[in-house]
Amino acid sequence: GENSSTQQTVSPAAAEKESYNLRLAHTWPTKFPIFGDAIHNMATMASKMSDGRINITIDSKNKHKAPLGIFDMVKSGQYDMGHSASYYWKGKVSNTLFFTTMPFGMTAPEQYAWRYYGGGQELAEKVYAPHNLITFPGGNTGNQMGGWFQKEINTIEDLQGLKMRIPGFAGEVLAKVGAKPTNIPAGELYTALERGTIDALEWVGPSLDLRMGFHKIAPYYYTGWHEPATELQFLINKEKWASFPADIQEILRVAMRTAAYDMYAQSQHESAKNWASIKTEYPNIQVKSFPTAVLQAMKSANDTLIAERSAADPLAKEIIDSQAAYLSTARAWTKISDQSYFQTVEALK
Amino acid sequence: MIGLLMFVTALLLLLFGFPVAFTFGGVALLFGVLSEGVEIFAFMPFRIQSIMENSTLMAIPLFIFMGIMLQKTNLAEQLLESMAKLFGKVSGGLAISTILVGTLLAASTGVVGASVVAMGVISLPVMLKYKYNRPLSCGVICASGTLGQIIPPSIILIILGDVMGLPVGDLFRAAVIPGLVLVGLYIGYVLLYSHFVEDSAPAIPFDDDEQSRRGQQYLQAMKAIIPPLVLIIVVLGSIFSGIATPTESSAVGGVGAIVLSILYRKFSLKALLNSAEETVKITAMVFAILVGATAFSMAFTYTGGDRVVESYLLQLPGEKWGFLIFSMLFILLLGFFIDFVEIAFIVVPILLPIAEVLGIPLLWYAILIAMNLQTSFLTPPFGFSLFYLKGVAPPEIKTTDIYRGVTPFILIQISVLASILTFPNFYGLS
Amino acid sequence: MNLLTKIDRITAAIGKLSAILLLLLLLNVFYDVIMRYLFNDVSIGMQELEWHLYATLFLLGISYTLSQNGHVRVDVIYNQLSPRRQAMIDIGGTLLLLIPFALLISWYGVGFVADSYQLGEGSGDPGGLPYRWVIKAMIPLSFLLLILSSIGFMLRAWQRMESDR
Ligand code: NA
Ligand code: NA
Repeated sequence: GENSSTQQTVSPAAAEKESYNLRLAHTWPTKFPIFGDAIHNMATMASKMSDGRINITIDSKNKHKAPLGIFDMVKSGQYDMGHSASYYWKGKVSNTLFFTTMPFGMTAPEQYAWRYYGGGQELAEKVYAPHNLITFPGGNTGNQMGGWFQKEINTIEDLQGLKMRIPGFAGEVLAKVGAKPTNIPAGELYTALERGTIDALEWVGPSLDLRMGFHKIAPYYYTGWHEPATELQFLINKEKWASFPADIQEILRVAMRTAAYDMYAQSQHESAKNWASIKTEYPNIQVKSFPTAVLQAMKSANDTLIAERSAADPLAKEIIDSQAAYLSTARAWTKISDQSYFQTVEALK
Repeated sequence: MIGLLMFVTALLLLLFGFPVAFTFGGVALLFGVLSEGVEIFAFMPFRIQSIMENSTLMAIPLFIFMGIMLQKTNLAEQLLESMAKLFGKVSGGLAISTILVGTLLAASTGVVGASVVAMGVISLPVMLKYKYNRPLSCGVICASGTLGQIIPPSIILIILGDVMGLPVGDLFRAAVIPGLVLVGLYIGYVLLYSHFVEDSAPAIPFDDDEQSRRGQQYLQAMKAIIPPLVLIIVVLGSIFSGIATPTESSAVGGVGAIVLSILYRKFSLKALLNSAEETVKITAMVFAILVGATAFSMAFTYTGGDRVVESYLLQLPGEKWGFLIFSMLFILLLGFFIDFVEIAFIVVPILLPIAEVLGIPLLWYAILIAMNLQTSFLTPPFGFSLFYLKGVAPPEIKTTDIYRGVTPFILIQISVLASILTFPNFYGLS
Repeated sequence: MNLLTKIDRITAAIGKLSAILLLLLLLNVFYDVIMRYLFNDVSIGMQELEWHLYATLFLLGISYTLSQNGHVRVDVIYNQLSPRRQAMIDIGGTLLLLIPFALLISWYGVGFVADSYQLGEGSGDPGGLPYRWVIKAMIPLSFLLLILSSIGFMLRAWQRMESDR
């Protein structure tokens, strides 16, 4: 189970070596699919690669009761490591916003390229270092869906006064175009959407939305715009990290990176599988995309909000400029490679 | 091992009679600090914050306020008395009315603290006034107040849906019949008990010498019943029509109770402030227990208690019926000591994969667990409903009255649990 | 004016304040329901204010409730004891269980608030409330007030002990 450690059988040689016992707290419930798997993969790999010297104990939110306290608990050293999502800390440190995903931003391959080769990781370290934290990518969900709607969105007027559960920055964007982001506790979401207390909500994507049963109460499922490449994060207490010898650091680094990539693959797999089953089991769900005019309004609201952040904070400007520059270069290649490929192959049908 | 020692210590210390909340907190401190060091308490602000941000629990103060307003204005008393009069010479009418009102409240909140306390405030004084047997009164209130947990909306079902990956709506639908069966059996029990045990629940008939004016008396009764009943229906209606979430509906109820008190000319600013102060007193009693209990469960899990529970669970029998029966017994036993949220979080994720492998229908299993956890609110020594009722009861009500009173209701719950286990068809759960 | 009277005045004031917070909470939630349903208007700030009010009232209320002897007890044995014994349990429990517990929460609560203050933490949601440290400060504040109230609780027990001599 989740509470048990990942201790492996230790060889006699390793028993004499120093062992590294790390405690990790994450934001998700016990045995949470996909997200939880990424954490376990990382811990198991780290243990095996270190011949049992690294031993990571994993505590879910059910144990520590502070799903949104990971930042503080790892910062203060109550836990050595954490697994969460960077944009959750936007109320504490505003520039953490940029390291999960951005509306109208990069896709997962583009974002990974930026993170590892385009200066993204250095910027992430710049944001987190003053808080005694190091962050690494923690697994990608891929493109997320735009949410469940009780009514069709045809014009920007349809968004006026639309009561939608959509937290964080995407909520700011929607608010700017006239929607009404609404707080509803997770446990009351289903009832609220069913009875019209709210008109729409955004959850995660096919894999987790079906568990909530939203498909039974809302007819329209909109495609995504606001979270094209949601990247989770590993957090490590910086002092703790500095106390590790180089080999232990490297093992952890490789384990985290591999687990993150692996979660991206697993997300792709699970989403595709779930999508196939949605299409056959629930043929009545109407999948829609927002009309161009609506998306244009949201995009310009997004750009205004981004520009405001850029003007207010030099580090924000640095990150925003870096992402914008990288996106335009990377997207040109995505278009000529992947997009052209899709088009030519689709044309064959 | 430390976990077991913690329970024994808490049990012994509780018997001394120091407030429950701080006894839990002190025991948590003792074991947590001895075993993990003083830093373990650095987790407490986070845990308290998660209670503070849990806006579903906001229903507790608001619901209690509605209950106190209805009691202070005598509207609750008139409602229950008049309902009881409609039972004529049949004994137990007041208790049955309490169960019926409790059922309505249960349909508008999923938070047990809210409904037990509200029911305690509303109906305990009335039952005592009519010389009802004390254990019976306490049992009826605890049991019907706890109904909120199985009759949707319900926090247990929401948490189970989350932990087991089941749509909350399906769970809500599946819980309706088991909840109503419980209501039926409670009423049946009260009828039998008050019939066979003399003077345990005296009838409140209309005055006999006024036979001729019976019709007018019915009219009078309806006059007393309708306004508070309308209030409860407005609360329910606001949820069903989507005007308010279940939590918000408790504020609609609170405002409604103020309006009623104005209509009945029982409103004054001083009375309002008094009711609010009394609400704060009871609310803080409930939340102090929640804070103490979260400290206790923190010490329990961080000293390895969760792993002990896990290792026991993994030894459960490996075939369907053995697993079902033993896992139910295990949860029931655990429910004597641990809070239902902890059970749902620690135990269910371990049982779930086993149940899946054995091909046990998950919806059915979830309802079984929910019914089982509902019982844990009533089981001594740590059943929260018992504490809550004690907290609002007059001093002449002893803890032992409450323990004795809930016992038959616990047995009823266990038999309903057993019947869901054996006749899932009847409940539409196969 | 003796210490007990002073403490009683403070706890009574806390009770009044919490009662007012409760009425404000009632209005706050009712207002939000009306605005959303009738005027289709939602304010995240007003929604967050709900839990700010509710959390403050229950946290502060804990010390008021102690002053009113309103925290629930298991009285199976307690009720059989002499007033003197009961008072001894109240004093012993306060010193050994309540005060250490409240002190530790206050101690770690202060650090918790300081972190939030240094970060200038606010809500992450659009239109949410700023200054998260203010609501977080209710944790150490309420437990320090609980310690104050528990001193009054012990003084009262002491009086009962003296009169039962
Ligand atoms: Na309910
Ligand atoms: Na119990």
